[in-house]
Formats: sequence, C-alpha cells, structure tokens
Amino acid sequence: MRTPIRVEALTIRYPGRPLPSLDDVSITVERGERLGIAGRTGAGKSSLALAVAGFIPRVVRASVAGRVLIDGTGGTDAMKAAPGDLLGRVGIVFSSPSSQLSGSKLTVREELAFGLENLGIPPSQMDGRIDAVMERLGISHLAEREPSSLSGGEQQRVAIASIVTMGPEILVLDEPAAELDPTGAAAVAALLDDLAAAGTTILHAEHDPVALGACDRVVLLEAGRIVPAMASLPPCESLAWTVGPGRQGTAVTIEHVSHRYPNGIEALRDISLKISAGEAVAIVGANGSGKTTLVKQLNGLLRPTHGRVLLDDAPTDGIPVNRLAATVGFAFQDPGDQLFERSVEREVSFGPRQLGRSGTEGSAAEISALVEAALSMTGLTGEREVNPYDLDRSRRKLVALAGVLAMDPAVLVLDEPATGQDRDGIERVGLIVRAMQAAGRTVIAITHDMAFATRWFDRVVVMHEGRLVDHPPPAA
Amino acid sequence: MRGIATDVATGYYIAGSSRLHRRNPLTKLLGLLFVLVAAFLLPALSLAVLAALLAGVAISAGLAGALLGSLRIPSVLVVSIVVVNTLFFPGGRDVMLEVGPLSITQQGLTFGLVSAGRLLVVFVASVLFLFTTLADDLLETLVARGVSHRIAFVVQSAVQLIPRMRHRAAGILAAQQARGLSVSGSLVRRLRVLVPLVGPVLLASLVDVRERTLALEARGFGARPGRTAYRVVPDSGLDRVLRVTLIVAILAVIVSAVAGLGR
Repeated sequence: MRTPIRVEALTIRYPGRPLPSLDDVSITVERGERLGIAGRTGAGKSSLALAVAGFIPRVVRASVAGRVLIDGTGGTDAMKAAPGDLLGRVGIVFSSPSSQLSGSKLTVREELAFGLENLGIPPSQMDGRIDAVMERLGISHLAEREPSSLSGGEQQRVAIASIVTMGPEILVLDEPAAELDPTGAAAVAALLDDLAAAGTTILHAEHDPVALGACDRVVLLEAGRIVPAMASLPPCESLAWTVGPGRQGTAVTIEHVSHRYPNGIEALRDISLKISAGEAVAIVGANGSGKTTLVKQLNGLLRPTHGRVLLDDAPTDGIPVNRLAATVGFAFQDPGDQLFERSVEREVSFGPRQLGRSGTEGSAAEISALVEAALSMTGLTGEREVNPYDLDRSRRKLVALAGVLAMDPAVLVLDEPATGQDRDGIERVGLIVRAMQAAGRTVIAITHDMAFATRWFDRVVVMHEGRLVDHPPPAA
Repeated sequence: MRGIATDVATGYYIAGSSRLHRRNPLTKLLGLLFVLVAAFLLPALSLAVLAALLAGVAISAGLAGALLGSLRIPSVLVVSIVVVNTLFFPGGRDVMLEVGPLSITQQGLTFGLVSAGRLLVVFVASVLFLFTTLADDLLETLVARGVSHRIAFVVQSAVQLIPRMRHRAAGILAAQQARGLSVSGSLVRRLRVLVPLVGPVLLASLVDVRERTLALEARGFGARPGRTAYRVVPDSGLDRVLRVTLIVAILAVIVSAVAGLGR
C-alpha cells in the first residue's frame, strides 16, 4: 500500500517575499493517519496545506521546489497535477467561509450539491449524501436557508460540509474550527474522529491545542522549517494605553432591544443589559445566537427594531454612525469587512484622521501619537508600510483592531477578536483588553472561547437564540 | 454584513412565476441578443415596435413598476445624448431653431432621438432579463449546454458584478462610518465621500474574484467533464420553439442589414 501523502524537500517562495514560506520540508502521512501541523502565525502551515491540496502553484502563485506525491493519482506531483486529477481524492477546508462558498447558490442544500455535481454524482444519490453530512455537523436545520444569510460560524460549518460531502480520501484542513462555537467545534471534532476511523487521511493545520491533541502525531513548523519541539514563548510583556489618559469610560445601556432583519429573521428578542463605565464584558453564545447583531446596535451599524441603546444615559437614536464612532470603536469579525486602505499605517490612521477632520480630536501630532500607540499595542510597528491584504488573516484582524484603538474610543467593541490568533496573538488581545480597561475604557467583546472570556473579562453574559440567558445552557 | 449580502446571490432577480420568469435563461439570452441586433441594425421605426413589445412583456410579467423605477439609471445619459446631438450633430443642416450661438438641427434631433431610443430599448431588455433570471440558473444552463466553465463563470460574474460591488461598497462605507467618516452634508461633500471608495471597492472586487476562485477550485468546478445537475433548470417545448424562432429572426435581421449595405 502506498503512502497517501509524501512531501519531499518542499520549498515555497511567494513573489515579493524575501524569505521562503516553507523551507525544505519533508513529511509523510500514512493511510488513516491524522497529522497535526502546529506553529505560530506565518510559520508556513497554510502553504503546506495549499501545496498538498494542489493549489500551489496552480491557483496560488508561488515558486516551488521539491515534490508533493499523492497516492491514487499514479504517484503524480500534486503541484503539477491537472485540476481533475485530485478532484474527489483531496479536499481542502479553509478557516474563513468567504473563500469557500460559491456565492450564487440560494440554499445550503444546493451549495452542498455543487461539489457533487462537479464530481458527476447522479442526482438521485445527492440528497442522501447531503443529509448525512448535515446531520453529522448539526446543520440539518439550515438546509433550506440562503447561505449568505447565515452567521459566520454557521457558514463555516456549511463550508466544511461542502467538502466532506464530496467524500475525499485525503482531507486537508487549515484551522477549520477557528470561527466555531464550542458546540460547532465539538461536532467538527467528532466528524473528524469518524472520518479518521473510517480510513480518511487527514492533514490538519491548527492552533487549538485540543484539536491538535486529537491528532495521531503533530509536526511543528517554525519559520518554514520543521523543528523538534515548541520553542518556549517569550515572557509575556505587559501593555499599557498611555495616550489620552484620564478619559473616563462610558456606560452602555441596552433597553428592551429587538432586531428583525429585512428577510424576517428575528435576531434579537427583547434584550436588556447594563454595562458600567470601565467594565470589561464578554458576550458568549452559539454561532447564530445574535451576538454580532447585538453589538452592531451599539454604534448604529444596525438600529433596534424596538427598544433603544443609551451611552451614559443619552439615547443613540438618530445619531449617525460616524458621530457615534467618536465614542464607540468597533472592530469587525471579518477584517475583510473593515480594511480598505493600501498600507497598514494609512488604515490605522483613517479613524483619527476622520475624527480630526470633524474637529473632535486634536492635531497631526496627536494623530500620529495615537497611530504609534495603536501599532505598538498590536505589535504591528514593523508592518506599517505593508498592504493589509498581504498579511495573513490573523494579522489583518490585528490591523483592524489597531484601526479602532487609534481612535481611542471610550467604548471598545470587539467582534471575535481572538479567533484565528495563535497563542501569542490571543495573549496579546487579552493584554490589550486589560490595558484599555486599566486606562478607564469600557470593553465589550464577543468570543466563543470560554477560557479567554473568563480570564480577561469582569463579566461573561450568554446569548441564546436572540436572548440573554442567566445561566449558560449545558454544553451539548 | 448580513442582510446586504442577500443581494449578491439573487442580484436583481424579482421573484415571480410569470411566463417570462419561467422561460429558460438561454431563451431569454437569445431574446436579449435579438433586441440588441434589431435595435441597432433595423430602421429606426422598428424601435417603436420593439419598445411596445418590451412594454407588453414587462406588464404581463408584472414588472412595469420595477422597470420604470430602473429607468432613472440611464435617464441622464439618454437626455444628454438627445441634447448634445440636437445641438452639435456634425451633419446638421436644416436649422429648426436658433438660440444665441446654438442651433437646433433636424438631423441632429433625429440622430439624437434614434441613438437614445436604441440605448433605451437595449437597456430595458437587459433589465427585464436580470429581473427574471437567477445568475445561478444562467450558469447551470450555459454549463449544461456545453459552454466552457470559464466562459460561464465570466458571464455569471458579469451578471453579479454590480450587486457584488454594491455590497462591497456598502460594507466599506459602513466600516468608514464606523471610524468617523461623515457621509451627510452637501452634494459636493457626498460626492467627495464616493471618490475614496473607488480604489478600495475595485481592490475588494479583485479579492472577491480570488476568493470565489478558491471556493470553486476546492469544489472542482470545471475540473472534469461529465458534470451532473442537482436542480434541473426547466426547459419547455415552447422554449425550444422560441429559441429557433429567435435564431432565425436574428439571422434575418443581420442578412437584411448586410443586403441593405450593398444597395
């Protein structure tokens, strides 16, 4: 029996980068084996995944050396394979749903059928395969929903289902559960257990120690090379927000807020919540429970259908988003929704420049001090000239966070700030929360990472199906 | 951005079950091609017939209101074509009216009206096509007909281009507002807001295409022949008759135009 994945002396170099992303890496994965690929952000995990799935260099341009041999394709090199050679044999799942959904299908069911159509599966067999995978991932109830109307975590489970339905012998995963709530992550973990037991070969790039623990073997990458063991982390630095001291936090009051989307989905049902000035509150809950919809009410990106939001006892109704922005800073879950400038520095300075223009903030010197402080807090000082689109997703999220910090908001709202970050990144986000709170700011963050929530926040509130629940529902 | 994203999959589609809605996308595509060819190659009087035909189709499909609403998009262009040609048409000889240094010529007015009419008729036909055709049905039909996957993808992307860009622009504008950008005020001020949007929206569109490419690659779109279809786009006997008729009509228009040139 031949080895399903054999990577030989693989080197990958992206155009315009001084250092190779992977440097002379060799690995083998046996049939039915589950190999974890660990390493920090930028260590080369995604490049390895893309090469094994045949995406490098055909779809993602890069210069390559070495070979990636995939069994079942007559020993052909995945990096030289034609599109059809690996189809149905190797499936790849990415971490963010935006690059995995077709964007034109009207129901989840049709989205899942799309891959089967391309494989040439007879239509009579499709529903059976689709239903089986949806049930294993706990998304049967989403079958007739429109994919774009789902929450990020729900979309990600659809994306995973869309590849697993195709029944690949080799499954390549690049942080598939980064956007998932604990229930969703558990469903994915159980599915991977089943697939591995049934003989699927799995290559799984991951930060999450629990997911890595489920692997038969873990290989650690650092700066594009395989290294023997996790190098010890640098001692945790502490961060402090020193610009604009003495500014007081603002209390946030949510009064009987409901929100109904134009498509009729009722995402919030009569929510009331008081957050004191200077408090750090984490909002947890399942994907699709209404967390993002709730925090978007705070800066006016969405408006309550009923009820109201008050900042320090002043109602926000009718105040435009850009004026609320002077008080409430909002970092989006998907950095793609937030970033638009051509360099990190321009991106980070956009907010303070706008506030300066409307006269609420000070001079160019003050703006530059804010930008420097935000870059230093997020560890991006060295990346100021880089185009945000050239950074990986976890660092793009830090750019988005820096862009909000630079506005020095009295209320900092973070939508899933820790997802997709490695251990250092999560630590840094936690330290930023603590530093902002120490400087008197109110911090409100959505997270599905319970450990992160309890470690860095004063209070954890739980959302379930558009409502706040007093006690978290028992874990599924 | 939930809610707005819903636009992209459906595009300009207005749900309905009229005869026009139920036509196969390929039939409608040929109808659109016929209108395009007829509007530009047949004598100007045929524009009136085409316009009446399209109006009838729009009313029977219950889309008259939506169609009228969409007409404000080309209105500025149509009016300016008429005005500019009426005043400055190079072949203008018969002066109808003189206003200061400007003279309105009969040839200019005619040329302006005909050009604007052609544009309008083609615009209306395109809008009716977009109102009644799902981008996904179009893609499936083209692929099932053996059109190359690349071309089908390009056609579908073209149909979805404006909804996608609008979705991206709305997202970027929301992000800019969330960081203090003011979008209210005078017309000039609002226009100044739009200018810095152009670069990011174009960049985001490129990123969009890249992301969709990854998505379609991972699912093996076009990787292999023998694709099957989960949902079959309906195609009736009436559609087949209409398609043959339309092809004959298109050829007839082209032949008559070529013959007319020879005279």
